[in-house]
Amino acid sequence: MRADWRTIDTDLLVIGGGVAGSMAAIPALEAGLDVVVCEKGRVLDNCGSVGCGVDHYLTVMESGPEWDTPEFLLRHLPQLTDGIVDMAVASRVIHEMPRILRKIEGMGVDFKDPRTGDYSRHRSFGLPGAYHINFDGTDFKRKIGKHVRAGKATVLMRTMAVQLLVEENRAYGALAFNFRTGEWIAIRAKAVALTAGDVNRLSENASGLAFDSWHFPYNTGDAQAMAFRAGAALTNMEFTEATLTPKGFSAQGLNAVVSMGAYFLNKHGERFMFRYDEKGENARRAVLADAVINEYLLGNGPIYLDCRHLPEEELDHMEETLQVDRYTLPAFYRQKGVSFRTDLIEVSISELSIRRSGVYFRGSGLAVDTTGETSVEGLFAAGDCASVSGGIAGAAVLGHIAGEGAVVRMRATYGARPDIDWADAERIRAEAEAALGRAGGMPWKAFEGTIRRTVSDYVGVRRSERGLRLALETLAALAVKEGELAASDLHGLMRVQESRNIRLNTEIMATAALARTETRTRSAHRRVDHPEPDNENWRKFVLVEKGPDGRPSVRAIDAGRPLADSFARRSQSQTEGSLPYAAGL
Amino acid sequence: MLPVSDPSVHNPIQIDPELCIRCNLCDWICPGDIIYKEENNKQTMPVVAYPDECWYCGLCESTCPTDAITVVFPERMLRNQTDVVTLLGKVV
Ligand SMILES: Cc1cc2nc3c(=O)[nH]c(=O)nc-3n(C[C@H](O)[C@H](O)[C@H](O)COP(=O)(O)OP(=O)(O)OC[C@H]3O[C@@H](n4cnc5c(N)ncnc54)[C@H](O)[C@@H]3O)c2cc1C
Ligand code: SF4
Ligand code: SF4
Repeated sequence: MRADWRTIDTDLLVIGGGVAGSMAAIPALEAGLDVVVCEKGRVLDNCGSVGCGVDHYLTVMESGPEWDTPEFLLRHLPQLTDGIVDMAVASRVIHEMPRILRKIEGMGVDFKDPRTGDYSRHRSFGLPGAYHINFDGTDFKRKIGKHVRAGKATVLMRTMAVQLLVEENRAYGALAFNFRTGEWIAIRAKAVALTAGDVNRLSENASGLAFDSWHFPYNTGDAQAMAFRAGAALTNMEFTEATLTPKGFSAQGLNAVVSMGAYFLNKHGERFMFRYDEKGENARRAVLADAVINEYLLGNGPIYLDCRHLPEEELDHMEETLQVDRYTLPAFYRQKGVSFRTDLIEVSISELSIRRSGVYFRGSGLAVDTTGETSVEGLFAAGDCASVSGGIAGAAVLGHIAGEGAVVRMRATYGARPDIDWADAERIRAEAEAALGRAGGMPWKAFEGTIRRTVSDYVGVRRSERGLRLALETLAALAVKEGELAASDLHGLMRVQESRNIRLNTEIMATAALARTETRTRSAHRRVDHPEPDNENWRKFVLVEKGPDGRPSVRAIDAGRPLADSFARRSQSQTEGSLPYAAGL
Repeated sequence: MLPVSDPSVHNPIQIDPELCIRCNLCDWICPGDIIYKEENNKQTMPVVAYPDECWYCGLCESTCPTDAITVVFPERMLRNQTDVVTLLGKVV
């Protein structure tokens, strides 16, 4: 105990109560272990990216046809990921898909189409089969969250994790604070699952509003940043993800519209997508975005979405389902005064996120092994912050795998958890709190604005060595300013922490992008000074870790091997049954 | 003390005081910590404390039990004039 701090001892600490975090909590709760979930939101049933609902779920179901088997999908994976994928982890995830689907159905999620009583499966985004179930997922997260609450997890709400506790490459908890009450919490755990999502607010978009983003603007790469500082390895951080959005509103809805047969037109009225991919509008997201970028650069913009040719019943269905993925999209069209039934919808390229670059199963974030464990012992990761991801299904499946992996890890561990280094904890807290009311300090909004301009200009969809070096200079100069950031209230203290994490993630991104001297997956990583893919030298992962100077340092790792081969820790299989804490040795 | 909002910033969340029953749900549900409603006080209205940090997700609107909330998009989103090419980077 310590005055002025709340201290909690638990078995599993989950950081981020979204899809992956909730699914990671479940196996530990089922094993009778104590679980604490630390979450920025207030209501577990709705928090995270999909609190408003979802409309598609990617899965193999083993329903009969050859395409619906794990083996078939796995065979196509190298091609789908342009050769950069951890096949070992992806294979585990894909094989577990049918089991986890049934498990989620058991929680009360109904994936079936009420009109037919069957699964409505669609082929989209360049996948080699109809792997997407289109469904009304308004309650998807609610059902999973309910299950976690029923399992009696302790949920710390409106609580932001700011620092991992790691000793000798072994994670044993985290420091967090509640941004409504100002309470600081030190949580000691036997294992930690990082499931805090992707990185957003890092580049500019059409509206110029930082929080108008396609992806969840309150996911700011906190897991990636905390883990990097704690010594964990990250990968695929050079790849960016952008999508096509109605101009002015960075909203989703593309998947539904494209799978129903909408076209893209340029200003000359040409349906140009086939010039970029033989699948036309059904190409991978990365290809769709790239084609539109290219058309804009060729001077063929504005680009429009055309749904006018679609049959009446498809349009009706579209209208019904449009709001499932983004509740406010119909209101946006209404207030704008356009209708996709009769009008062309002008599209823009969205801001970027670091997530999975429009490619399924090639996630950007923490490198994990087949049990979801990172290069730091006892530290697991899943969802949009992990090296294998794929929307809600990827998050759910790897989340569950990580939860099971954490149970095995905890059972194989004996001895006491290390004591908290209170001097260190107090220092971190004092540094964070110093931003409050700092006179003459730098507002976090201005700090973030500089990051976004820098990333858009030099680390975005057209990169060069010179531009990346310029960006790294600016981002390094901003690092120095972190100690001058100012906030006017507790809410602002949270934003200051987020801003720091965004900056670190963009520095990691620019460093990795500078290392990869080729172009891969089109505008996900386009080097204008190395415009072609270089399969000879770059069938590799760029692994980023903290260097001796505290800055990102990179290693290129053969993509034909599991990322875990490069981890410097004992694997679970090596240590069957007995693994003392470093402190207990 | 509840935060106060800056009137010069577009307010995306309009709350009808006639309809609002001061139930706090919008405060609880918002993923961005945007709306503040004093607990256990049926007199005070929710405050849109950080309007420029709104995601325009509409979760507050869809959750409000009395339909007191309307999400209102600003002109810069509805009639956007940005040249998309300016988002596509500088080649140096
Ligand atoms: C509107 C929308 C619709 C989508 N629709 C679909 C769809 O139909 N199908 C599909 O497959 N995918 C969809 N996606 C993508 C999908 O939501 C994500 O891939 C998935 O949610 C990733 O799960 P996650 O657990 O990694 O992240 P999330 O579900 O976003 O969870 C991350 C959680 O971590 C919390 N957090 C972040 N930082 C901290 C911190 N420092 N401390 C404590 N907590 C923290 C956040 O508050 C959040 O709750 C959609 C995304 C959005 C935004
Ligand atoms: S949810 Fe609706 S009724 Fe409840 S406090 Fe908010 S605006 Fe008022
Ligand atoms: S629209 Fe979403 S982000 Fe904005 S106030 Fe409502 S719940 Fe919060």
